[in-house]
Amino acid sequence: MNVLVEAGRLAAEGTPFALVTVVDVERPASARRGDHAIVTPEGALSGWVGGACTESTVVREALAALTDGEARVVRVEGGCASEGTIELLVEPQLPAPLLAVIGDSPAARTLAELAGTLGWRVEARHAEHADAVVVASMGRGDEDALEAALAGDAGYIGLVASAKRGSAVLAELRARGLDEEALAHVRCPAGLDLGPSSQEEIAVAILAELVAWRHRGPRSATALVEEVASAEAVDPVCGMTVAIAGATEKAVRDGTTYYFCGPGCRSRFERDPAAYVEAPL
Amino acid sequence: MRDVLDALVRWTSAGRRVATATVISIERSAPRDPGAVLAVSEGGEVVGSVTGGCVEPAVFEEACEVLSGGAARLRTYGIADEEAFEVGLPCGGTVHIFVNALDPSVPERLARAVAEERPVARVVPVSGPSAGAERLVFADESPDDEAGRIAQELLAAGETALVDVDDEQLFVDSFAPRPSMYVFGAVDHAAAVAAIGRFLGYRVTVCDARSKFVTAERFPAVDELVVEWPDRFLQRAPVDERTAICVLTHDHKFDVPLLKVALATDAGYIGAMGSRRTTEERAERLRADGVGDDELARIHAPIGLRIGARTPQEVAVSIAAELIETLRERMDSRAGTAVAR
Repeated sequence: MNVLVEAGRLAAEGTPFALVTVVDVERPASARRGDHAIVTPEGALSGWVGGACTESTVVREALAALTDGEARVVRVEGGCASEGTIELLVEPQLPAPLLAVIGDSPAARTLAELAGTLGWRVEARHAEHADAVVVASMGRGDEDALEAALAGDAGYIGLVASAKRGSAVLAELRARGLDEEALAHVRCPAGLDLGPSSQEEIAVAILAELVAWRHRGPRSATALVEEVASAEAVDPVCGMTVAIAGATEKAVRDGTTYYFCGPGCRSRFERDPAAYVEAPL
Repeated sequence: MRDVLDALVRWTSAGRRVATATVISIERSAPRDPGAVLAVSEGGEVVGSVTGGCVEPAVFEEACEVLSGGAARLRTYGIADEEAFEVGLPCGGTVHIFVNALDPSVPERLARAVAEERPVARVVPVSGPSAGAERLVFADESPDDEAGRIAQELLAAGETALVDVDDEQLFVDSFAPRPSMYVFGAVDHAAAVAAIGRFLGYRVTVCDARSKFVTAERFPAVDELVVEWPDRFLQRAPVDERTAICVLTHDHKFDVPLLKVALATDAGYIGAMGSRRTTEERAERLRADGVGDDELARIHAPIGLRIGARTPQEVAVSIAAELIETLRERMDSRAGTAVAR
């Protein structure tokens, strides 16, 4: 399989992945400059950028890159006896954020138009995997749209309404049994307070707030990526941090799963688990 | 009325009678601003809207009555609470709508003025003996009455408002030409700022001294491309209090002389791009050239609201947001001078 063709396919369907490129090697090494691999948010690696020892580091850094959105250069020094040093560029390829704009109103249409020019993907209906949801249905089903949005995993939920209308909508949601924690998640009125009035100005105020939201915490990573990528374990033999996602080298003892950087550490562990499990560290 | 003008010209030039319903003022929030029009022809055709569809059926009935010879009328729609929900606005606002028979000469003259970017105001008395007898007031004419002079004042500020003149209330809808946005520095950010400027209704000019960068391919969506030293161009460019000046050159050679010219104008917004360090160095140079701290405070630098923008498009959003906020504050601080007389 050609890794770059696969990368193109994933990018086209909007699936996040990390692209790994070997930028330098010091022999002996099984990888060559320009070799590529892809790492999915689940931690699965395809392509070849070095042996098992390199792979666990690559997967860990790829998942970290998918979480914080930053590209990085990674140097793996003599991970295995057979390998020299490899330098890799790890680039997160995150899809443009998906904005769901709910409602058939001038405000909704204007916002959708402007968000498109920013390079965001826009859907004019409720979307399960939307990163952000803006409800601009102007009184026609605001409550239903917000309830659906709150049930999803959108990181930003906003309501276009006057302050008075907004509190009436929130009161209705409270009456439907939604708790304060959920309601606190709704930006109402949506958008930075610029004192705007025209539809175009409201759209700019909302987009400015969306940009601020996107760049505040871990950037643009989907909830899925954050959840999967954050799981890491320490190889009990060599002390290296390895990603749990996609790990192939693992062993279970007394109900606890141990993860390893490669087959070497795993077989040493399996020969004498007690030596590592009960290590006083 | 701008959005329905084409249809109105078509109807009146075909000799059809038309009634218009115009939003003349709003309380709290409403879907459409004052000046929004719903028009009904004698054939029963409808264009435009005055709200998001909440009160249109009732307004349509009023317009039909005016078309069958009824008097011009003022109607108010809104809700005080949920129980009173009949014909009203779910957003909690109140709209005042004036319905009158359209003077058949108005649409064509208005359309021509708008096309020529000649400032004009639609003036509609909504109370008193001449209620419904609308007229057009042009900025370049000399009206001989108080109402005309007040309309011209509002037109100069680009404002649409309801004002009291003697014993009658006048609705003045300003059709001012688009405000100007001058973008200096033909960088990627300039294309994004120009695009959002057009979106916000500005007439956008991009200016740079380097002809190779100022091309229609790079800036497909601007009204005017100028190859000239920025400070020299701004010296001759028309600037008023609605004008936005965005200095994206971030090169002291261009932006120090340019900002000095900008500060000598009434521009409503002046922003300058550059890192914090560039901004401090530039401020030092401007001070050395005799620019006072009060004047320096007029320059928004580094340009744009702090929203963590990274891409040129995101930076453009941060600039647009700052521009809206700045002009709104200016308008608020002047509120009450022109309108509440």
